[in-house]
Amino acid sequence: MKKRLITLRVNGEEHEIAVEPRRLLVEAIRDDLGLTGTKRGCESGVCGCCTILLDGHNIKACLMLAVQVQEDSEVTTIEGLRGDEGGLHPIQEAYVNYGALQCGYCTPGFIMTTKAFLDENPKPTEAEIREGLGGNICRCTGYVKIVEAIQAASGQEVSHAHP
Amino acid sequence: MRNFEWLEPTSVAEAGRMVTENGEGAKIMASGTSLLLLMRQRIFSPTHVVSLGAVDGLDYIRFDGADLRIGARTKHRSIEHDPEIAAQFPMIAEMARRVANPQIRNMATIGGNLVHNDPASDPPACFLAMDATVAAVREDQEREIPLEELFVDFYETSLEPGEVLTEIRIPALSADSVGVYTRFTTTPAEDRPLLGVGMVLTLDKDGTCTDARISLGASTPIPVRARAAEEALKGQPATEEVFAKAGLAASEEITPLDDFRGSADYRREIIKVIVRRTAMRALERARG
Repeated sequence: MKKRLITLRVNGEEHEIAVEPRRLLVEAIRDDLGLTGTKRGCESGVCGCCTILLDGHNIKACLMLAVQVQEDSEVTTIEGLRGDEGGLHPIQEAYVNYGALQCGYCTPGFIMTTKAFLDENPKPTEAEIREGLGGNICRCTGYVKIVEAIQAASGQEVSHAHP
Repeated sequence: MRNFEWLEPTSVAEAGRMVTENGEGAKIMASGTSLLLLMRQRIFSPTHVVSLGAVDGLDYIRFDGADLRIGARTKHRSIEHDPEIAAQFPMIAEMARRVANPQIRNMATIGGNLVHNDPASDPPACFLAMDATVAAVREDQEREIPLEELFVDFYETSLEPGEVLTEIRIPALSADSVGVYTRFTTTPAEDRPLLGVGMVLTLDKDGTCTDARISLGASTPIPVRARAAEEALKGQPATEEVFAKAGLAASEEITPLDDFRGSADYRREIIKVIVRRTAMRALERARG
């Protein structure tokens, strides 16, 4: 099948790549652009570890073809996050400080979801945080520390609601 | 995933022609969130995928006081956040914010949801209880299809080859009616419902149900109207006892699915409870 030439704007940089129509966006990001921070997990839209931002909204890169990305769209991956003075983004800092990761495989997806979510709702309640994380699965942490990290990242009191 | 030819029409008419020209193997794709799952598993391997991504004018929400019109490429997210839907159609808003998960709501479209006709979904049952119709367009011909006639069987609709679903039309509820949608999942981590109940109740001043439309989703191959349950409500006082009878009628009038989300017996029990609770919520909503 003929490859198509597409333009992907990722983390502020333009890339022209040739892809087969069946190339998933997550494959293009990882294998064509070498940005391996975005993970492949369930590949069926459930686990959320391939979460990236498309024009600021969190989406799952395993359920989208690379050819579907419009030329004027902006993709942001975990590699595109950084703090004001370089280094870690405040959300990443909070995940580290609150121990919101163990094996780390799901973490890029969680952080990208957190970014989109807090951009839209800067002071979420705990219930809203838990709902916002509905499309991401973590098998290590039990979510308590992730919720705490998001509370901290949003400048709110941390509930320390350990069961 | 098997490879395919990628086609990007810029109009609905062109999209329809591309499907007709390329035969049985051609398939229209909106966002692809559902279709890609089937293609990945090679349950379905189209030879040609006709993307609606470059077709403008299918992403809108309009309410003229009589009908709500939602363009087929409108994302669940837009429906979830639309202020007019929240104010005028709380039943749709409460349904839309529970579809799948946040990322999918940012990607998936309402038209794609309806034509995919996967039983384990919320919008079909919600809109069925609201007496919605859809517009199907081929060339310059438009056909209006009541939702009940759109759904044929698992993943099968009455759309003809080359027809493109362009719009969903939902009539406003009458002033004396209220609408409620309840989704039931077996665990909070589940993205897909075991059961969805849509209900539009019409009540007179004395608290009598003068009319009722009840739909059941995700527990039968296609969403269905629970007409025996509706009859059990009509002309009756809006009380929990009457609602329980309607629940019982609903659970007896269908043959529930028996699958990994729940056995048929379990579904019957849940239908009884959720129909009753949905009616109680409708009553609360009517009382404001």
